[in-house]
Amino acid sequence: MAQQVKTKATFPSVKWFEAVKKIINNDDGYKRFGTCDASVGIKVPEASKYFVITFEAFEVGDVKETDERAAEDTDFWIEQTYDQWQEMITNIADNGKADLGHTLNTLDVEYPDGLARSNDGYRRDLFYRFNQSFQHFFDATSQIETKFAK
Amino acid sequence: MSDASTTEIPPELIKVAEEKDIPLDLIRRALALGFPPDAIRQQMSMPGVTAEAAEKLIAEQEKIRSGGEITIPEEVLTLAREKNWPEELLKRALKLGAPTAMLIQQMNAGITAEQASGFIDQQEALRGGGDGAPQLDLSWMKVPTEWGMRVIPGKKGLTVNMLNVGTYADIPDIWPYHTEMPRGAHPIPGLPAMGYTIYEKAELWSENAGDLYEEAIQRRWRPSTDIPWESMEDLPDAVEKAVCQLCTHISERALVAGDIVGGWLPEMSYGYHEVKLYLSVAEFDVARWFEVFRKRALSNGGGLGIQAPGYFHRTLIDARAWTEASAALHILSSSQLMMLFQIGHYTAHNEAERKIFSYCIEDVARQRAYGSQHLKYFLTKHSERRGEISHLLNKYEVMLEYEWNADEPLRGALMILLGGGASEEQIAEGASKLEYFRKRWANDYVDQLAAAGLGERREKVHRSIKHYISEPEEAAAAAA
Repeated sequence: MAQQVKTKATFPSVKWFEAVKKIINNDDGYKRFGTCDASVGIKVPEASKYFVITFEAFEVGDVKETDERAAEDTDFWIEQTYDQWQEMITNIADNGKADLGHTLNTLDVEYPDGLARSNDGYRRDLFYRFNQSFQHFFDATSQIETKFAK
Repeated sequence: MSDASTTEIPPELIKVAEEKDIPLDLIRRALALGFPPDAIRQQMSMPGVTAEAAEKLIAEQEKIRSGGEITIPEEVLTLAREKNWPEELLKRALKLGAPTAMLIQQMNAGITAEQASGFIDQQEALRGGGDGAPQLDLSWMKVPTEWGMRVIPGKKGLTVNMLNVGTYADIPDIWPYHTEMPRGAHPIPGLPAMGYTIYEKAELWSENAGDLYEEAIQRRWRPSTDIPWESMEDLPDAVEKAVCQLCTHISERALVAGDIVGGWLPEMSYGYHEVKLYLSVAEFDVARWFEVFRKRALSNGGGLGIQAPGYFHRTLIDARAWTEASAALHILSSSQLMMLFQIGHYTAHNEAERKIFSYCIEDVARQRAYGSQHLKYFLTKHSERRGEISHLLNKYEVMLEYEWNADEPLRGALMILLGGGASEEQIAEGASKLEYFRKRWANDYVDQLAAAGLGERREKVHRSIKHYISEPEEAAAAAA
């Protein structure tokens, strides 16, 4: 049996998110959840790294690196400390998907200000409405050999 | 009239013809005249039918069809005068192939000319055109609706909202029709009303309803097979009982939500089908909650728990307007349900529970999305009623909090789940975590109200909820 060759990428970077996007856009399992429309900011404040990912219909669209303000000018943004990002991604890599303690939903309730944040309660609810699509997106990072910048 | 020499005879007719000694050529001629095979078989099966009589009947029909005079036998004409059957009616019957003997039999049996005429109308309609095709009134094809529509599917397929093009995109502020006619169709004047009571767009509309319908349909799930039930294992007795109490509580709320939405749906007129479509699926969503939590309660060694006091449910059922019911159900109650689902997910003991609560979080978020955007639309159109809505929310918040305080089994179950057991220390830890979740819920609720355009509720919510609301400075500091 041929050994699976994993894409190598460094977190956080456009290359890393593009690698996830490529996996997701070739994954029928993601499409089965249904359409998902949201602009999602990603914040890694300690590394001063900010991204915006556009989820559109049955696929992931644009991934771009931005500034903090643009990351917040989205439907909602996902914010964690660098260590929390690393722990979540490592947990997913170790288990093939997030374990019960590291799902987006669990992390969201564990952080006093939430994992998903927004300036608008209605737009923040997209995080909940399409939650399993976003979880599937991050679970797909188990197929990437992630190198951490820090 | 078709060529009799090439007409094929169905096998069942050949069989009857052979039994009655009637030449097959006669059958072909009858078929070519347009007589249905069933009618020919019935005629041949009648007592006393001979080849000569059949030949006479068919020859007469061929004469009539080729434009010849219809001859009414004298004995039929005499009886018809006696029975008040007009001559024209007899000619129509004979043209249809009615045997003389049958006409005499019908008249003697007391069939009136009016009854016969009705039957002959039907037969003529069925045989219209002379080739067996019924004659249709096709004036309906000239209906004055917009025609030539060719909506092209997009990235998400062919969605309900994409059909809102041309005049089909006209969604009036007041729907003028009282029947079940779909928006965009042409009405028949004078049809009786269906008894709807909501005809104003502002009273039910939400800009996202069409999208929410598509979303709910796509994200449907099946408790029977989408939940990995095999992942469940025995839990400590107190924990299992706590899970089952939570399941009982949510099942009950699902039933009430179903009753409320189901009660209001027949009130809504069809000018706003996007809303009716979404709420129909939301009905399905709550039925599924009832199903899945009953299944969870009865599949791991436990059972159902105790009923909720129901003060809040009874207040909800008494809502006098849909906007009131929706704000209380889809914003206030659904926000608290979101908290319960989040606690369920956070304390999940296995993959089955994790999946159940993940699915439910998506479902309830859609309901909040409808609730907040409907209220926003309503307030945009009726800004003068802000005070009234705020007043009503006061009432519902009081009742929800009263229910919360009265429902010790629910609060106890949540503390046990959050603390991980029923020891004194575990319950203390659970109580502390429950306060944390209550604070999250209270802030989430006022955020939803703000999204609906009622930002001022942050200052006006019931004191037991306000107690948890982060002050603006605190919120700013936390965000910094």
